Amino acid sequence: MERKIGVYICECGPNISEKIDIDKVIDAVSLPEDVAVVKRYKLLCSVDGKKFLEDEIKKQGLTHLVIAACSPKQHEKTFMEVCENAGINPYLYQLANIREQCAWVTDDKDEATKKAIRLVKAAIRRVRYHFPLEKKEIACNPDVLVIGGGVAGLEASLQLASSDRRVYLVEKTSSLGGMVDNFEKTFPNMQPGSNLIKQKILDVNKNENIKVFTDSIVEELLGFFGSFEVKVKAKEQDAFVEFDVGAVVLATGSSFFDPKQTPQYGYGTLDNVFTAIEFEKMNKSGKISLKNGKTPKNVAIVHCVGRNEKGYCSQICCMYSLKFARYLKEKIPDVNVFHFYSDMCIPGKSQQKFYDQTKGKHINFIRSSNIEVTKKGDNVQINYSDEDGKANNLPANMVILSPAITPTSDSSQLAELAGISQDDSGFFAEEHEKLNPISTSTEGIYIVGSAQGPKDIPDTLIQAEAATGKILSSLVPGRKIEPEVKVAHISESFCIGCKNCMSVCSYGTITFDEEKKVCVVNEVICRGCGNCVAACPSGAATLKHFTFKQLYQEILEAV
Amino acid sequence: MTEETEDFEPRIVGFLCNWCSYAGADLAGNSKLPVSPSLTTIRVMCSSRVDPVLVETAFLHGADGVLIAGCHPGDCHYDEGNYYARRRFTVLEKVIEGLGLESDRLQLSWISASEGQRFADVVNEFDKKIRKMGPNPLREKKSL
Amino acid sequence: MEEKEIHSDVLVIGAGLAGIEASLLLSSSDRKVHLVEKTSYTGGTVIKFEEVFSNMECSTCMVSPRQQELLQDKNINLLTLSEVEEVKGSLGNFTVKINKKARYVDLQNCIGCNACFEPCPVSLKNEFEEGLSERKAIYTPCAGALPNVPMIDTEHCLRFNGKECTACQEACMFEAIDFNQKDEQLKLNVEAIIAATGFTLFDSKQIPKYGYGKIDDVYSAFEFERLYASNGPTEGKLRLKNGKTPKSAAIIHCVGRDQKGYCSSVCCLYSLKFNHYLKSKIPEMEIDEFYTDLCIPGKSHQKFYEKMKETGTNLIRFQDINVDKQGEGITVTYTNGGKKSSRTVDMVILSPAIEPRADSSKLAKILGISHDDYGFFKEEDPDVSSVTTSKPGVFIAGCAQGPKNIQDSVSQASAAVGKILSQSGDK
Repeated sequence: MERKIGVYICECGPNISEKIDIDKVIDAVSLPEDVAVVKRYKLLCSVDGKKFLEDEIKKQGLTHLVIAACSPKQHEKTFMEVCENAGINPYLYQLANIREQCAWVTDDKDEATKKAIRLVKAAIRRVRYHFPLEKKEIACNPDVLVIGGGVAGLEASLQLASSDRRVYLVEKTSSLGGMVDNFEKTFPNMQPGSNLIKQKILDVNKNENIKVFTDSIVEELLGFFGSFEVKVKAKEQDAFVEFDVGAVVLATGSSFFDPKQTPQYGYGTLDNVFTAIEFEKMNKSGKISLKNGKTPKNVAIVHCVGRNEKGYCSQICCMYSLKFARYLKEKIPDVNVFHFYSDMCIPGKSQQKFYDQTKGKHINFIRSSNIEVTKKGDNVQINYSDEDGKANNLPANMVILSPAITPTSDSSQLAELAGISQDDSGFFAEEHEKLNPISTSTEGIYIVGSAQGPKDIPDTLIQAEAATGKILSSLVPGRKIEPEVKVAHISESFCIGCKNCMSVCSYGTITFDEEKKVCVVNEVICRGCGNCVAACPSGAATLKHFTFKQLYQEILEAV
Repeated sequence: MTEETEDFEPRIVGFLCNWCSYAGADLAGNSKLPVSPSLTTIRVMCSSRVDPVLVETAFLHGADGVLIAGCHPGDCHYDEGNYYARRRFTVLEKVIEGLGLESDRLQLSWISASEGQRFADVVNEFDKKIRKMGPNPLREKKSL
Repeated sequence: MEEKEIHSDVLVIGAGLAGIEASLLLSSSDRKVHLVEKTSYTGGTVIKFEEVFSNMECSTCMVSPRQQELLQDKNINLLTLSEVEEVKGSLGNFTVKINKKARYVDLQNCIGCNACFEPCPVSLKNEFEEGLSERKAIYTPCAGALPNVPMIDTEHCLRFNGKECTACQEACMFEAIDFNQKDEQLKLNVEAIIAATGFTLFDSKQIPKYGYGKIDDVYSAFEFERLYASNGPTEGKLRLKNGKTPKSAAIIHCVGRDQKGYCSSVCCLYSLKFNHYLKSKIPEMEIDEFYTDLCIPGKSHQKFYEKMKETGTNLIRFQDINVDKQGEGITVTYTNGGKKSSRTVDMVILSPAIEPRADSSKLAKILGISHDDYGFFKEEDPDVSSVTTSKPGVFIAGCAQGPKNIQDSVSQASAAVGKILSQSGDK
């Protein structure tokens, strides 16, 4: 079909018409044979303007459209809709920005006009090389895989499961519940930890839309958003269970820093030095006692164990240390408790009240540094530097260490399995610290709870629910996914298999076809940045709507 | 060394990334800041799209200067694209020297969406610099 | 028996980051969203900031793509200059009355050229710029505000105060200014409501010892953000009131903490961000950060703190602090461990507590939800969810629920959406 380009220049009131000699522009760009019509119009984005364009396209039988007006950030979509309504592919159009980047920044009318001519000519040149691009629709699997049966995994599973969305919950230990099951109470409301968990476990087990695998791990996870292939293996068995899902939620929790790495605290060498989790378990059993069975009289709680080594504040330790003081006071009313801390980290509207209420008789707070726990007779001694730097010491029967929260020992394997990255501390890396804290750079894989970073239970529940929000709105049963249109493409014939493109892609979009020995772009998850195109030495990679030829045409006018 | 000529009107090609620098250029427009018309913008989605061949092509066709503008390091909409742009830029500087051009004719600037004034300043200063350097010695005239 | 109508539209109150996240997520699930925003612009508080911690990312670059998406989204009915007046009904069937104030500028016709500003004869302090610069009676809060359409401040506009003036209308070539626009009363039927109305900062004037409002060059956090902003009143140039470049500064944490009774979670971090701001513009500046307990939770924040320490800033712990003007500079007197000391600086930046907005309790009443002792919207049970309230169908998100950082606000917004989609069987 013969190409017929229609060029329409918007006056934008006086904004363009007073700063640019539009008639000169019309004269300058009318020459080429394929430019069927060049007209000016008062305000193209108005209702009348859009109708005018639609009528023009149909009347003139235009195949391509060039609009010279404001920034594409303002009205690119507006005129794409006009094209669609008029029956031409919305990508066979180019918008030249002669307002924000020409009329509004160029005082001299002559210069502005010359620049506008360049910009419109560039758009005309470019649009000749545009291809019609079609919106794609991909059928998706609405089911979800949740890895980790702790409070986050349980919450996400319950929120997501329904009659047309199955949830597969895979837990590596023999029971659901995770870390929280060990806590007699949780801060700040001091409600039983089991309250949070018991009912959720019951509900999950009752729910016929949730399939639970305990003593199991995910062996393999292939595919992409909307279409993941999962292989699960139970510990005692050889066979896999295979199924497909559309999204994955990683809720694999966290671990604790091992205080054996910091021998100054005496952990593992001195009696009655316990870690937080050991103390939680002891407390939950009902009796807090020393190794010799006696009741402690003076208990030291040491905050920030491993903080320097790990390089971050674990957010919840000051709070759970205060909780420990309460546990102690509840079970041993006349015990003396000493908190050794550097900074009291209690952010949030409820936390300070909890601290204020915890302070009181026989609960002491000692701001300190350089802590060393040594043996003193049958007991221990906390040696420390006080606020002024002076050396001091305090005898104690029992020491509780509050260690940093760390990633689990299998987080690297999990990250590799899911094809996501880890941050510098080993936690799963979110896509964007502020705006996408639970998404990852692999679309369809979400990270929630302390697997993403240290946090308390309310924040963990929020993240699990947030993942639910993301999944329920993007993976709708019966509805298709519409991926980005302006994506990369690699020509099989020109690809030399160097994999340069793969090494620069932040999203794992490109895979290597072992048979054909070429790289292939997954157009469903490509974000369209074009990095691979610039990295390709053979010119096999192109970016739709930003091809070399198209940009070259713009360069020709720019110079 | 070339001298500044009265009738030398530089032709500068600007590759601006859609998310940050193009928005910053628009903001300069919204704020009605004067920007030298010697720059013609070519929009790309990410500064990492700027293929070295595109830059070389621009110079070979007579561009007096090429500006690549992207998001500040750490702010790239596509995570790390601008870091790759930075790497390609350092190699490109050597390449265009090999073509017989001063490496200063190529500039890489980080301009955020809120930096309208900065965009104007960067372009105007670049224009001044190019004027001092004179026309691209490889300049050929091309017609439509 | 009367069949109860179930609606699927959702009302989101507040077009800050949490409200924007909730709206976009609901829209992508094909829900119609009515986004009610009290001011004339979207983006909430975060668009006052040039950069956000801890990666010091440009705030506009981060937010404006979302704002653009919001403005162009067909499922989202953005109602600016609007407030919720009444809420009746229950989950699945709320009837909401909205008071939509007239903008007096047509959103369709206006192309954002700003030609109407210059001829306006009225000048007054710009609230968005914390009073550090002026605006006209017809104005947008700042360059780059979205939607990029001005509004008329009828309280100060001459015409709306009985005087003859059509200066702005005469300057407009698009017939966008319409003095005859009227406030509207809208009635909406929605399934659920998300209240994401954000926060304000504690007014440091309440504590005279900080000298705020009395001593020149004692700034509150938002004022300093605007001074630093490249689209702010000084285009980012840091100058004292006398026009000189400051050589030293004190940043004081925890302003209002004792009065409010909680730690606002983000102030230590944004105070460190201020250190970065200062050092980036004036590298040789001497900076003292006065703090009580350093609160920098989170996996990436300690690194941010270490980087700040490398810039040579003094970290000074204090128990009590006072700010006085003595001669040329500002004297900060403080006690630490019983010892009294002082530092003299050119400028002081106060980092105040986050508190609920003044109209929070009014909105809580309208929504039929309670607020906690501090005035924040009250969640039903934080051990269950911090976004559900005692009223089914009414959710809360962001700093309206309690002080928090951006990522937690955004997560709460997504969580509220998750609750809505999950409970209505959109599974």
